Amino acid sequence: MKFSLVRDSRRGMRRVNEDRVGHWESPGALLMAVADGLGGHLHGEIAAHLAIESFGAAFLREARPKLADPARFLSRTMAAAHEAIVRHTEKLQLSDMPRTVLVACVVQDGYAHWSNVGDCRFYLLREGRVIARTRDDTVVQLLVDEGRIREEAIASHPERNRLLQTLGGYQAPRPAGASARLAKDDVLLLCSDGFWGPLTQRQLLHGFIANPLGQAIPDLMALAEMRAGDECDNLSVVALAWGEDEVAAADAAQTVPQREPATDVQDFTATDLDFLRMSDEDIERAIAEIRAALRKNAPR
Amino acid sequence: MASQANQPGGQVNEPIPVGTRLENYRIVHLLASGGFSFVYLAHDENETPVAIKEYLPSTLALRANGESYPRIPEQDLATFRVGMKSFFEEGRALAGLSHPNIVRVLNFFRANETVYLVMRYERGRTLHDHIGRRRGALKEPWIRATFAQLLNGLREVHSNKLLHLDIKPSNVYLRTDGTPVLLDFGAARQAFPAEGMKLPQTFTPGFASPEQHVDRELLGPWSDIYSVGATMYACLGNALLQPADQRLNDDKLGPARRVWEAKYSHELLETVDWCLQLHHLDRPQSVFALQKALRS
Repeated sequence: MKFSLVRDSRRGMRRVNEDRVGHWESPGALLMAVADGLGGHLHGEIAAHLAIESFGAAFLREARPKLADPARFLSRTMAAAHEAIVRHTEKLQLSDMPRTVLVACVVQDGYAHWSNVGDCRFYLLREGRVIARTRDDTVVQLLVDEGRIREEAIASHPERNRLLQTLGGYQAPRPAGASARLAKDDVLLLCSDGFWGPLTQRQLLHGFIANPLGQAIPDLMALAEMRAGDECDNLSVVALAWGEDEVAAADAAQTVPQREPATDVQDFTATDLDFLRMSDEDIERAIAEIRAALRKNAPR
Repeated sequence: MASQANQPGGQVNEPIPVGTRLENYRIVHLLASGGFSFVYLAHDENETPVAIKEYLPSTLALRANGESYPRIPEQDLATFRVGMKSFFEEGRALAGLSHPNIVRVLNFFRANETVYLVMRYERGRTLHDHIGRRRGALKEPWIRATFAQLLNGLREVHSNKLLHLDIKPSNVYLRTDGTPVLLDFGAARQAFPAEGMKLPQTFTPGFASPEQHVDRELLGPWSDIYSVGATMYACLGNALLQPADQRLNDDKLGPARRVWEAKYSHELLETVDWCLQLHHLDRPQSVFALQKALRS
């Protein structure tokens, strides 16, 4: 695989850095991840650390040299990372459950597969445009989806930090995921909100035009720090510039089990509450699970 | 009960008619109704009484004119199902809980476009009724013994990563032998702010913690502990507590140690006041910590 990769994580103006970043390679696959531990909850950095470790360990275990199913790998490992945090909390009898948000991306066979929980973001940038972007699991993202506020208003909204789901916490996460075929010079960007928050989309896109990653990332980090000023959160990035030509669409058809990537950032964020909707099969499955638990727990 | 279709500002749902068969159960009568659900007394094929809870959020689904199927407006179907998912969370959590001080779930099934939770029917009365009959002034040894057992149940809830979020005297049931049972996990779903933007909130002012009013991101075991403190406060003799959101502005809730000085032990009153601290970190952080304080 031909690519260049840059990663960086800075403390900003905070006392500790609760962000963690990681990337792992095998001869056939690559995994990148950025986690942002929640402040205000004890040990946010522990949650971020455990989540990143879970991803690294799972990748090293399963990428031999390729992952059997990258999309399923991501959703399974999200669940495993959540479990790791929950177990850790129980083991140490922490009074509060540490939490983290996380975004991860696997590159394999000329495709990128990504998944997120919370408000770390994944961007796929091509020729100065956003080809795809993750939706934040936040209240303000719902407001944007409902057309009640504009995308640009996210950064200044008083409720921008309210998360709908996290790894750790009292509910198992339901990560969203998608994938896309990569073209030469595509940029894959994974970042915490300390990075994307202070930057406008225009600034972000501009930073990558005509600049190699090695220059674009430090410049954008500095710009984000400057714009955030005294309020500057931890900021972290893993970015990859793809160096291979696009693979033929047919040869990887069966490796793309998830929905088609959105073609435009507008389309991507204009989705409704679909991701929360339950199908009849979901209902039947949930009932079957509860009945199974009841049988297992039945007296006698 | 009067019913009116599409009544603005709130709908009035009708319960299932008496005698209706649901799976192997026969509806005897309505026990209770809330914003999310109806609870019926029913008998199974062996005439064993059970309590059946029906998911039916009144703002999203309408049942009237003696029909058994609720009508769900097209645009609310997704939200209805999201809420149903929360009902599953409740069912799933309770199904995994087997504890003498937690209501026992027996069955779970789907019918009439919605879902039903079947629970063991307990005989006795609610703590709310008990306080009312005694006109407050419950004895300290009784309070300590009852809450020790109740907290065992709550500990089990928390260790299963669930918050109850609606602990109050009317959700604590006293069996005829005096043992307490924690009822109604209907608000537990709201431990998960991801869902139910449109679903009614079912907390109870006076018993709900400040974070339930103001910042649900801060919910934790300490939120249930606030409600336990309020419930104990009610047992001491005052069931009309100032709601937490008002306390934040102008705290008029007299500390237990002043209101009931000399009537109860200093330790018990201090513990009640500890639970009722407005800042979530100032309260006992776990049920275990509270139990330890209550044993002293």
